[in-house]
Amino acid sequence: MRWLKALDRTFHGITGAAAASLLLLLLGLLIVLYDGARPALLRFGPGFVLGSSWDGAHDLYGAYPAIAGTLLSSGLALLFAIPVALGVALFLSEMAPPWLREPLAYVVDLSAAVPSVVYGFWAFYVLVPFVRSTVEPGLASLTGGTGPFSGSPTGLDLFTASIVLAIMIVPTIAAFSREALRAVPRSQREAAMSLGATSWEASRLAVLGPARRGIVAGVILGLGRAIGETIAVAMVIGNIYLTPTSLFSPAQTLASLIVNNFGGVGPGLERSALFEVGLLLLAVTVGVNVLARLLLGQTSEPRGPRRPAGFRLRASALLGRQHHPLPHPVSPASASAGADSAVAAGRWSSHLVDRVPKNLRRRRALHWVVVSICAGALLLAILPLASVLTTAFDRGGGAVIQPSFYVSENPLGCNPGPGRSCSLGGIGPEIQGTLLLLGLGALVAMPLGILAGIYLSEYGRRGRSRFARGASFVADVLTGVPTILLGVFVFAVFLRLDHDSATSALSGGFALGAVMVPLVARATEEGLRTVSTGVREAALALGFTRHRMSLRVVLGSARNAVVTGALLGLSRAAGDTAALFVTAGSSSFWFQGFNQPTAALTPFIFTNFGSEYANLASDAWGAALVLLLMMLLISVGARWVVRSRSVGAEL
Amino acid sequence: MPPKLQVIELDARYGDRHVLYDVSLDIPDAAVTAIIGPSGCGKSTFLRCLNRLHEETPGATSTGRILLDGEDLRSKDAVSVRFRVGMVFQKPTPFPNLSIYENVAAGLRLLGVRRREELDDGVVDALLHAGLWEEVENDLDAPGTSLSGGQQQRQCIARALAVRPEVLLMDEPCSALDPIATHKIESLILKLKREYTVVIVTHNLAQARRVSDHTAFFYLGKLVEFGPTLKIFEQPGEKLTENYVTGRFG
Ligand SMILES: Nc1ncnc2c1ncn2[C@@H]1O[C@H](COP(=O)(O)OP(=O)(O)O)[C@@H](O)[C@H]1O
Ligand SMILES: [Mg+2]
Repeated sequence: MRWLKALDRTFHGITGAAAASLLLLLLGLLIVLYDGARPALLRFGPGFVLGSSWDGAHDLYGAYPAIAGTLLSSGLALLFAIPVALGVALFLSEMAPPWLREPLAYVVDLSAAVPSVVYGFWAFYVLVPFVRSTVEPGLASLTGGTGPFSGSPTGLDLFTASIVLAIMIVPTIAAFSREALRAVPRSQREAAMSLGATSWEASRLAVLGPARRGIVAGVILGLGRAIGETIAVAMVIGNIYLTPTSLFSPAQTLASLIVNNFGGVGPGLERSALFEVGLLLLAVTVGVNVLARLLLGQTSEPRGPRRPAGFRLRASALLGRQHHPLPHPVSPASASAGADSAVAAGRWSSHLVDRVPKNLRRRRALHWVVVSICAGALLLAILPLASVLTTAFDRGGGAVIQPSFYVSENPLGCNPGPGRSCSLGGIGPEIQGTLLLLGLGALVAMPLGILAGIYLSEYGRRGRSRFARGASFVADVLTGVPTILLGVFVFAVFLRLDHDSATSALSGGFALGAVMVPLVARATEEGLRTVSTGVREAALALGFTRHRMSLRVVLGSARNAVVTGALLGLSRAAGDTAALFVTAGSSSFWFQGFNQPTAALTPFIFTNFGSEYANLASDAWGAALVLLLMMLLISVGARWVVRSRSVGAEL
Repeated sequence: MPPKLQVIELDARYGDRHVLYDVSLDIPDAAVTAIIGPSGCGKSTFLRCLNRLHEETPGATSTGRILLDGEDLRSKDAVSVRFRVGMVFQKPTPFPNLSIYENVAAGLRLLGVRRREELDDGVVDALLHAGLWEEVENDLDAPGTSLSGGQQQRQCIARALAVRPEVLLMDEPCSALDPIATHKIESLILKLKREYTVVIVTHNLAQARRVSDHTAFFYLGKLVEFGPTLKIFEQPGEKLTENYVTGRFG
C-alpha cells in the first residue's frame, strides 16, 4: 500500500508539473516581451503610447495609431456582434424547436472553426468589393459624408475590419451566452410562465437576468478575441499607419502592426518597439480575459429601483386602512350568497382581469416580433460561413479535385491569356510542412496539455490548493492570448538559444505547440469534468487511489473527451497563421531540415491572397478549401467521437 | 356551489409515456383540495395540467377536458389561464436577479401595471396576504434570494397572489422547508382558502389532513378515490387508499 501512496504522489507531481508549464508559459511570455521591449521602453518611455509615427529612417516609433485602430475596430465589432450573438443565443436556447437546436448550434459553432486567414481571404474577395461598392457609398450618402463617414470609401478600412471581426466573434459570444441561458433552471421559466408570462416574457423575466453575468463575460471574451485577432484584420484593414479619422480610414491594429513588420526587421530599435507593442497587446488581452473569467466565477446581484421615500408613508397608510384598497376576493360567506356560476365568476372580476385581453394581443405580437428578430440574427450569423464555403468551393474546387495539386510544388506566377495557359502547380510542400509542424507541435503539446488537463480537473478549480486554482485560471486566460504573441515568444526564445533556427520548422512547431497546450488542457479538463462525480466517488470508495482512479476510471470513461480535446487543439493549430508567420519563416520548397524555414498552408494563403497571378490565387483558394475541409472533417469527427457541449466555440 | 374546476377524462403523456389515465374530478370552490399518492404517480403532472403548464414540457400531451367556472381551459389563451390559476413550486423559485419588491410585482408588470402607486399597493397587499410583510417591510430592495427558504416560498406565494388569481396550485410547497416554516405556510393555506381555491400536492399525509377539506388519492396515474378529507383518512372506500393512508406503503 505504501508504494501505491508514493505512486499517487508521483502522479500528482507529474500532472502538477504539466500544469506548471502553463504558468511558465504566461510568465515566460511576459518576461520575454519585456526583455525584448526594454530598449524601446528606455528610449521612448511612456511617450511611446502617444507617439504617432513608425519611422524606420529616423528610428522613431509610437503606438498611438495602432492603439486607436485596435480600440476602434474591436469596439465597433462588438457593436455589430452583440445584438446578433444575443439573438442567436436566445433563439437557440429559448425559441427554436427542440429538435432543431442542436444542429443549428453546431453550425454556429462551426463558424468558429474557420481559420482567420480564410475569413480574411473571403472578406478580401467578397466582403470588401461589396462594402466598397454598396455599403460605404450608401452610408456616406445617407450621412452626407461627414464626421465618421467622411473620406472616400475604399473597402479596405476600419469599417470592413470591424465587420470581419464581428463575424469572427459572434460564435464566441453566442456560445457563452447560450451556455449562460441554458444554465438557468427550467423551473425559473415555468415560474414565470405560471404567472402568465408569454414565452418571450419568461425569457426576459426569469432567464436573461440570471444569465446576465455569463453573457457579459462572453461579450468581454469576444472583445478580447477581437483585440487579438491578427491575420484577418491585416488582410482587410488597409495597413496604413495613421490615426483613423473616419470609419473609412485605412488603419493598423497592434496585432496587425506586429505581423506586418516583424518578419522584415532585424535586431534593433524597431524590433524592440514591436516587442513593446506586443507587451501592450498582452496587457490588454490578459486584462480583458481576467475580467471575463472573474465575472464568470461570480453570481449576480439584484436589480430594481430603489424605493422612493414616499413609499413607506403610503404603505403604512395602507396598513392602517380597514379594507383592502383593491377589489379582492370576498369571504365565503358572501360568496355563497350568489350560488350560480356567473355570480361566482363575477366576484373575481377586478380591474386586473380587464387588462388581460387588452394587453394580451400586444404581448403576443411582441413575442413574435422578438422571435423573428432572433431568427433573423441566426440567419445573419450563419450567412458568412455559407458564403465562405461556397466561395471556396467555387474558386478552389477546380484545384482540389486534381491529384497533382497535393504533390506538386507551387507554380511560377502566370496569367492565362490568348494562346497561353498556366500550369496550376500545387501545394505539396505546404501540406508536407503543415503536417510536419502539426506533428512537432502535438509532440510538445499533447502530453503536456493532457496531463495538465487531468491535473486541472482532478486537483484544480474547486480544489483547495491555491496553485491548482491559479493554474486553472491561467489556462483560461492563455486561451485568450493572441497567437501572434506566442509566435513572437517562441521566436525570441530561439533567438536566444539557437540563433540560426529562430525561423525554422522547429521554431514553428514549438509555436504551434504553444498554441495547442492551453486549448488541449482546457478541453481535456472539460471532458473529464463531465465524468460524473458519482463514478469518481464510487471509485474512491472502492479504494482506488487517486491516480488509479484518474487513469482507469476517469480517463477510461472520458477517453472520448480527451480525443476531442486533442482534435480541437490540432484544428486550431492547423488554422493558425499568426504564430507560424513569425516563426516558420517563408519557404516554398519541400522539407529542408528542422532548422530551416518551412512552407505551410496558412502562411502560403497569407502571402498569396492578393497575388496578381491567377494561378497562384487559385492555388491559394485551393489551399483554403483544403484547410476548410480539414476543419470540417476534424469537427465532424470530434462530434462523432463524442457528442459534447460546444467546447469548440468557447475556447 | 358549483365546482371551481371540473376535470373530465384527463389523460396525460410525456411522449409515449402514459402517466395519467382517465382522471375525472370536481375541485370545489373556496376550499383546499389535497392530492396525495406515492411519488411518481402523476400528482405533479395532474397539477400542471390545471394551469396548462404541462403542455410547455417538450413532448408532453394531454387529452380530456378541464373546465374553469364551466369554461374549457383549451378554449382560452394559455397565458390568460395561468393568470387566473397561479402556481407555487416545490423548490422556491424567486427570480434571482430581482429584489423582493420586483419579484412580487413581476406579475403585475406583465399585466401592464405601470403606475407606482398601483404597484406599491399590489405588492404590499400581496405580501400582507402571504404573511410576509412584517418580515420584509424594511428590506424590499434586498434580493429575493436573500430570504430564508420558508420566506422565499411565501414570497413566491405573494408573487402568485399579487395578480389575484382564482385558483392557487401548490406542488409540495413545504417539502424543502423546516417544521417551523412548514407550519407558517400551513396556517397561510388555511387563511387563503377563505378567498381562493387551493389545490395542494403533498407527500405529507399529516399535512393533507391538517390543511385540506377534500383529498384525492392517486396511484399509478389513476385517481383511486376522492372525497372529504376526513372520510378518506377515517373510512376510505378503497383497500388501496386504506393501505396508503395507514402507511402500509408509499
Ligand atoms: N418531463 C418528463 N418527461 C418524461 N417523463 C416524466 C416527466 N416528468 C415526469 N415524468 C414521469 O411521469 C410520471 C409522473 O410524474 P410526476 O407527475 O412528477 O409524479 P409525482 O409528482 O406524483 O411524483 C413519473 O413516472 C415520471 O417519471
Ligand atoms: Mg411531484
